[in-house]
Amino acid sequence: MKIRFLLYLSFCIYSISLTAQEKKCECCLNGQVLDADSKEPIPFATVLVEKTGKYTQTDIDGNFLIEATCPDNYTLVISCVGYSSSSKEHHHQNGERPHFFLKEDFTSLQEVLIQAKRNKERGTETITQVTISKSNIRSNPTQSLASSLSDVEGVTFASSGSNVQLPVIQGLSGNRILILNNGLKHAFQNWGGEHAPEININSANKITVIKGAAGVQFGPEALSGAVLVEGNPLLLENPLYLTLGSGYETNGRGLNTNIEIGKGTQNWSYFLNGSYTRIGDRKAPDYNLTNTGKEEIAFSTGVLHHLENFDHFDIKLYYSFVDQDLGLLRSSVVNSAELFINSINADEPIIINPFSYDINQPNQKTQHHLAKFEVDWWYSDESKFNFKAGLQLNKRDEFDVRRNSDLPIIDLDLITYDYQLEWEHPTWNGLDGTIGIQYFTQNNDNNPGTQTTPFIPNYNTDRVSVFAIEKLKFDQNTFEAGIRFDVEINDVRGRETNQDIFRDNYTFSNLTASIGYLWRLGNNSSFRTNLGSAFRTPNVAELFSFGQQGFKSTFGLLRFQDTDGMLSTSEVTLLDESDVDLERGYKLTSEFRTGTNRSAHVINGYANYINNYVFERPIGVFGTIRGPQPAFIIDQADGLFLGVDYTWKKEISKKISSTYGLSYLWAKNIGENEPLIDQAPISTDIKLEWDQGETWVFQSSKWSLTPSYTFKQFQAPRTVSPESLVDGTAVVTTDSEIFDFLDAPDGYFLLDLSWSFKWKKLNGSIAAQNLLNTSYRSYLNDLRYFSDELGRNILINLNYNF
Amino acid sequence: MKTMKTMKTMNPFRMSTLLAMLFLAIIITSCSSDDDQAPEEENEVEVITNLSLIFTNTADASDIVSATAVDADGAGIGELVVLESIDLAADTEYTLTYSILNALNPDDVEDIAEEIEEEDFDHQIFYGFTEDIFASPVGDGNIDSSSDAVNYNDEDVNGNPVGLSTTWTTAATASTGIFTTRLQHQPDLKSATTGASDGDTDFNLTFTINIE
Repeated sequence: MKIRFLLYLSFCIYSISLTAQEKKCECCLNGQVLDADSKEPIPFATVLVEKTGKYTQTDIDGNFLIEATCPDNYTLVISCVGYSSSSKEHHHQNGERPHFFLKEDFTSLQEVLIQAKRNKERGTETITQVTISKSNIRSNPTQSLASSLSDVEGVTFASSGSNVQLPVIQGLSGNRILILNNGLKHAFQNWGGEHAPEININSANKITVIKGAAGVQFGPEALSGAVLVEGNPLLLENPLYLTLGSGYETNGRGLNTNIEIGKGTQNWSYFLNGSYTRIGDRKAPDYNLTNTGKEEIAFSTGVLHHLENFDHFDIKLYYSFVDQDLGLLRSSVVNSAELFINSINADEPIIINPFSYDINQPNQKTQHHLAKFEVDWWYSDESKFNFKAGLQLNKRDEFDVRRNSDLPIIDLDLITYDYQLEWEHPTWNGLDGTIGIQYFTQNNDNNPGTQTTPFIPNYNTDRVSVFAIEKLKFDQNTFEAGIRFDVEINDVRGRETNQDIFRDNYTFSNLTASIGYLWRLGNNSSFRTNLGSAFRTPNVAELFSFGQQGFKSTFGLLRFQDTDGMLSTSEVTLLDESDVDLERGYKLTSEFRTGTNRSAHVINGYANYINNYVFERPIGVFGTIRGPQPAFIIDQADGLFLGVDYTWKKEISKKISSTYGLSYLWAKNIGENEPLIDQAPISTDIKLEWDQGETWVFQSSKWSLTPSYTFKQFQAPRTVSPESLVDGTAVVTTDSEIFDFLDAPDGYFLLDLSWSFKWKKLNGSIAAQNLLNTSYRSYLNDLRYFSDELGRNILINLNYNF
Repeated sequence: MKTMKTMKTMNPFRMSTLLAMLFLAIIITSCSSDDDQAPEEENEVEVITNLSLIFTNTADASDIVSATAVDADGAGIGELVVLESIDLAADTEYTLTYSILNALNPDDVEDIAEEIEEEDFDHQIFYGFTEDIFASPVGDGNIDSSSDAVNYNDEDVNGNPVGLSTTWTTAATASTGIFTTRLQHQPDLKSATTGASDGDTDFNLTFTINIE
């Protein structure tokens, strides 16, 4: 009878769980020995660490723990009475958790090599970061990427309703944070506040949020941070697994199913993953939110081939596909003064219909294809080459309420090619690092037939980058430094509203750098600090916007001229002849961690100074064919963001723990000495968790209760009502300070409750979001002028592992 | 401690395969993309630049009074300009029709009235005017109250008025006042009772009117 063993080992990996602390020679090896097929634990297996001679036995749950070990390479010998064992190691990417499989071999015990490495992205060890595990990601499979990150302190989301949510990291969002999907920058229409990344979280295995300027490591746009989404790791020697999941949510009567299958043999590994989501109109506590449904299909697959004949090679192919139809609140379509005034002053949205699954205008239909080819080549023990080639196709059709509403108002195709070659070089004089080169090219085209002037032009972007990141460690100190040089060429072709063609061609080059330090003080504490820079080119919407968007007109950086007080929008300025410059950010982020398993604190303070920060400001009220309308222009000034994120995890008893979190942000347009709009308000929450362990029939039963409070944004700009704009009582000129049409919403208290369980091969959860059915509006939702946020939502999820 | 295997030096075959793939990838991309095309010309039907009210004397078709409002740059910040006042003869019946154009591209002037007509079931024009300017309709128009009198000549497939053609009889005495015309776009909303506050406004223009 052949029985395969699975051995899970966890090493000193930095994560917010704070359980395995980094100490000098006080690491621990802990893990669990399970039967591969039944996943039953194997008690009383002997685990021997060969170098030190320490050994222990697994307990009744198959767990073992060996303390007081130094970070090093180890050989573990595992034997069980009645079984023989041999092992195989899969040579993992730097930092990945080693995964071991014991094969049955009734001959002799063989030795096993474990190489423990840090679980961090290159060059980011000194930047504060948080990893979200698969179980947390999939606890709510229909949520957006942004929403899955929002438990992390300092991370929230900005939205246009419940279907379009963009991550916000420490005050910045949009294309001031970089989103990487499987190592490739997610290439989408990353402008405006209404475009969310088309990433389905069901395919994610792990998501890391990096809260610092990571421009050197990941490229332009990582001004405030980066979100790294990683898919299936394609493990070798992995027995066939099949997981089926299904869920239902009451708010929107949403249905979701997902399936994942995969297997790894000695040299091959593959996976297939698919999911389908259908949600109807959502509901606020007092009314239906008409036209807020969503339909999403996602599919991804990957294959890994491991070659060992000459050197270690891993060749990976990966493909993913996401198709979305996202409804936007019907009552949010407002083009004229009177309707806007009525909408803002009404208690309820102007148009409320009974529940329906139909998605009508306004809506967004997107398709995103991603294909990736990747090779890892370990040509020596300590060094490797990594080559990635990626192709992405992003198709976006947006429909609005207008005459000819069956025609899209925006119809864009974006094709992106991304090539990266990285060399993790052998350690030179203690320096451990990576040198890389990247070529990135993008082509954006408007499809004809919209019967409206293209909102953004056609363009090509070509960028070549080189970077180097080095790390030096001695005693308890780690130094990191990095430097990167980018050259970006943009070629733009657009149409003015009178159908004249305009063209532009501009090149930017920029040097970004970062330097960081990590200090492990004593047994339980660490301090890390990083000063980094990053840049981004103002995006095409910021440069070329022209005309009405809802109840206001906005003119981009190159579409507006102010010649000695004479305002004009009749020309398109060439970028090289304008004052437009790159946004350059400098972020200093420091984190102090201290504590034990019983009580642990993490405090992260940051200061982010952004030169040429792009923002929108009012210039006046103008007569239009529909009546008076406010007009805004895009401008640049210096912005400053200061903040603190604090987390305190306390073990109240062996089974109960509480985690207290606070996020505080202070933001200001220091160039103009005025507030910034749409900044995240202060928020705080407490998460109480009760791990019941084995209860009744369940192998695992866990409860979690999270009360949270979000404050009113005290730094919101002044309010100028639309009535006063229209009747002229409010005077707006080019010198006016920015304003909002409505006061920031009041602070609100929310309560979430969830229960997750495990019963044999079935695991699942029942969660209630907004349990108290509170009516509230979120300052970061640009639909707050029109409706409340979602009311109570009860989500039921079940997963079955075959 | 025994390592898994001894590492060899770089294998030349592997190295060249890797480089070959790299070159191939770059060649594919440089051949396919890099087009120089601007987006195609569109019939821009969202923008209205020239709106004329055309009053035609029902007794004498050659007697036409028109008043035009122009927003020459369309969506740009140039102000809307009302070019004329409406000067009508007293005690005369007129039919009011419209010329609604997008003249941003002088080589391709778009007729927006045609677009409105095609979707007349989603549109209605409402009127407001100084009381006693007209003998018919009486009152001050239906912008303030949708049931007030206005003489619609047209109707949509559902039997509801549209407003692209209306009839007006001026009062016998000379006077001056204002005349407002307002197009409401009411997709899936329009009914026999919907008014000027329902839906979204596509144009809202006020002219001075003189009865002579």
